[in-house]
Parts: sequence; structure tokens; C-alpha cells
Amino acid sequence: MVGTVAKYIRRSPYQALSAVAIMTLTFFTITVFSILTIISIRFISYFESRPQLTVFFKDAADRSEISKLEKSLEDTGKTSSITYVSKEEALKIYKQQNKSDPILLDLVTSDILPASIEVQANQAQDLANLATIVKSSDLVEEVVFQKDIVDTLVSWTNAVRRVGIAVIVILVTVSTLIIITIIGIKITVRREEIETMRLLGASNWFIRAPFILEGAFYGFIGSVFGGLAAVGIFYYFSPSLEAFLRGVAIFPLSPLILGELIITEVFIACILGMFASYMAVLRYLK
Amino acid sequence: MINFQEVTKIYGSQDPVLDQVSFAIDQGSFAYLVGPTGSGKTTIFRLIISDLTPTEGKITIGDWDLSKLPKSRVSDLRRKVGVVFQDLKLLSDRTVYENVILPLEFLGITDEARRRVEEILSEVALSGKEDKFPAQLSGGERQRVAIARALVFDPEVILADEPTGNLDTKTSVQIVELLKNINKKGTTVFMATHNDVLIDKDVDRVIVLSQGKIVEDRNSSHKKHREEEKDKKEEKVEKKEDEQPKSSGKIKLESLAQK
Repeated sequence: MVGTVAKYIRRSPYQALSAVAIMTLTFFTITVFSILTIISIRFISYFESRPQLTVFFKDAADRSEISKLEKSLEDTGKTSSITYVSKEEALKIYKQQNKSDPILLDLVTSDILPASIEVQANQAQDLANLATIVKSSDLVEEVVFQKDIVDTLVSWTNAVRRVGIAVIVILVTVSTLIIITIIGIKITVRREEIETMRLLGASNWFIRAPFILEGAFYGFIGSVFGGLAAVGIFYYFSPSLEAFLRGVAIFPLSPLILGELIITEVFIACILGMFASYMAVLRYLK
Repeated sequence: MINFQEVTKIYGSQDPVLDQVSFAIDQGSFAYLVGPTGSGKTTIFRLIISDLTPTEGKITIGDWDLSKLPKSRVSDLRRKVGVVFQDLKLLSDRTVYENVILPLEFLGITDEARRRVEEILSEVALSGKEDKFPAQLSGGERQRVAIARALVFDPEVILADEPTGNLDTKTSVQIVELLKNINKKGTTVFMATHNDVLIDKDVDRVIVLSQGKIVEDRNSSHKKHREEEKDKKEEKVEKKEDEQPKSSGKIKLESLAQK
């Protein structure tokens, strides 16, 4: 059976190449969007885990005044935690985040960094209320509402995901149609041979199986090539991405996750190839 | 073994290709199906392997009633009936060996297959030609490859549709001899031909078709029986004549003289 499949592929190398190429493109795209989805999920969960409300104080604000504000927030009973970050601590965090860039470190001192408090609310709907309280204080320079950032990120990633799904649906449809066409051509070319086999007593399974296996082969090779190419490119650009998203804990992506992704894709690709071939077999081998 | 009961086959709205055809071929016999081109010989063979279904009538092959045979079992039937097709249907891109082993591949036979193919190729005098492609063989050799392929899964019946069609007389005789040898080993052989010259007088059965109807059905066993009866009668007559008085002989002679 495998020998027959190999022979069918050898006899029409350009058709095989086309099938593998479209499958590679499809699964390259699927891998790229899958990696982007993993990154976006990590990105969003990173921001979701950050303080929901960050209050930056003016330089003039002293610790006792800030403590009073903290107390008034705690008294509402709507906060789960409040963490004070002094100018010195802010500098430490800054130094940690930019330790690989000495020029940036030289230019910054604790004086230019504001003190802040990071507030976690018990419930998301209480955030607006807490924000109103801190905004009314003269000590406050700026209030960063983490929810806004997360909402913006979610809407961006949803948009990217929708585009990705649309592109993938188009590519999967095109791949299926191309494999149906290629297998259909092969069946038509072998019509006489198939007819002879039938007359000699070959079962339907014996005639159909090589074509279905051929589809699975295209899926397998295409997904392995496409998946590995996308993962290779991702690893190549990882250092640059990591530098760009400094401080956001996304990297490194575990090779295990990417391995699982490729294995899942290979499985799906084989099923897709077999499905497309089966459709061709039903259409052309009545 | 093969039983046709009032079988009619009509393609579309045309005249019947077979019209109320009935015959039965015994297991282990050698039968000829004779008739001009277009008389319905190939249609009969296609009906036997369920490549066509009859418009009317009943066909049985051994215990198989073809009208009740589900599609899924047609391949089983075709593995019981070896066919040498009129156009041979050898796969041009496969070697002799690959062509002959093909039916065994359907059954998933692997270990035994090579030995069986070698045995069959030796039987049809094609040993040493295993790696040749059909295009590299003579007409007679190609015919023998087709016979070997029909024989390889040890069928109960061999249908040979004009197996000598494009061959010279000498090769045709060789092919018929080969089929007879196969028949001697117990396989039922049903051979279609339009060439009366090839028909052996000793053969069991000759069915003559013309325009889709059986116009003659010669059964050598009946013929032999009739000949034996005739011989017996003649012997009796001779004995009686011997017992008659000489005068009666005289009368006979007189009567003959009068005639």
C-alpha cells in the first residue's frame, strides 16, 4: 500500500509539489497565528495580573499624606491590596528592567521617578469608584487605569484573531479544493487501471486507500514544513521581540508548547488531507 | 456451475443484446461460446462477473444468485472467476510479475504470493520474463500473462473472451492447449471465440450465439450418448440379421434389386 502511494507520488511530482506547497503555506499561517494567539493571551494575562489601578503622586506629596489617601481607600472596603512604591523602589524596578542598557540607567535618578500606589480592587466594577476618590486628591499626578489597557489589548488581539481565522479558513478551503483537484486528476489518469483492478476483484478499500493515504501524506509533509518554518522564524526573531516587549513576561515560549502545537497541526493536517482525498474519491470513483 | 435462466439484456431502448438466453455449464467442463462479433459473447461474460446486471432472468454461479448478490460482495465473486479479457487489460506500467501478482495483493497475500506467481508463470511457460513489461512481449506471451493473472488466485472458473483474437493459428492452438491443460486440473473453462477452426471436437460443450440468441447448443456427452445408443441398435440389427434364414436375405437382396 505504501509502495503504491510512493509510486503515485513519484509519477506526478509537480502535482505532489503543488499539494505540499499549499499545505505548507496553510500550516505556516496557522502556526504563525497560533503563536500570535499564545503571545497575546500571555500579554493580556500579564496586564490582567498587574495592579488594576496605579496612582502616581506629585513630587511634593509626602509619605504621610499618601498614607492618609491609602487609609481612605481601604475604608471603602472595596480594595483587596494596596502597595506603596517609593521613588527609590521605582528606580530599582527601572534599573532591573533596563539593566542591559547602561545609557538609559545613567540618565535616570530617583528624583525624576514618581512615587506610586498599586491598588487591587475586590471587584472590577469598584475600580471606577476608587479612581474617583484618588483623582479628587491634590497629591495625585496621574491615574493609570489598567482595565483600559487590557480592553484595548483585547480588542486589538481579537481583531488580529478574526483576521487570522478568516485567512486560515480561506487557506484551508483552498488547500482542500487543490487536493480534491489533484487527487481527482490522478484518479482520472488511472481510470483504466482502477477499472481493471475492480474487474479483477479489488475491493473498494483497496482502490481508495492509496488515494486517501496520499492526501494524508500531503497533509503530513505540508504541516511539518509549514510548522517548522514558522517556529524557526519565531525563534530567530525572539530576541528582538523580547527586547521590544521589555518587562512583559511573555518569553521564553516553551519548546514543549511549540512541539505540542506542531503535533496537533500534523494530526489536523493528516485528517484534512484524508478528508480532501476522500471527497475526491467519492466524486471521481463512483 | 454457471446457470443462465431466460436472461435478457437490453441497453437503453435498443434491441436486446441477449434475448431469453438459457444454458448451464457443469463444474469442471470446457465450454465454447461461439458467435460472430456483436452476438453477445462479451455481454454474457460481463454478466457472469456482475459487471452488468440482466434486464430479465436469473444467473447463478455455483451457490451465488447474482440477483441477490450485494455490491459489497461483487469483489468476492470476481475472485472466484478468473477472466482473460478480450483486450487483456494488462497494466502497461507494471512488469509481468507485477501484473500477475496484482489479484493476490487485493487479498493481502505477501509471503506466499511470490512462490505462487513463479509457479503460475512456469505453468504458462513465462519463466524468465518476470521483469518484462507487456510492451516487450509478443502477442502470445501477453495472452499467457493474462491467463496467468486469471489463474493466480486459483479460481473455480476461467472465462476467456476471444483469447486468440489477434494471434496466428499456431499460437492460437497453443493458447487453447494451455486452457485445456488448465481444465484438466479441474478448473471450469468457458471460452468465447468467433473462430470455428479452434473448436476441438472432443470438447464438452459448444454454445452458438447469433444476434443475442442461442441458435445451437451442442453437448458432447449427449452426442456420445446418442452415438453409443446408435451403435447398440446397429449391433442388435446385425445380430438379428445373422439369426435370419438365408431366404430372408434373399428377399432382402431381391427387394434391393427391385429398388
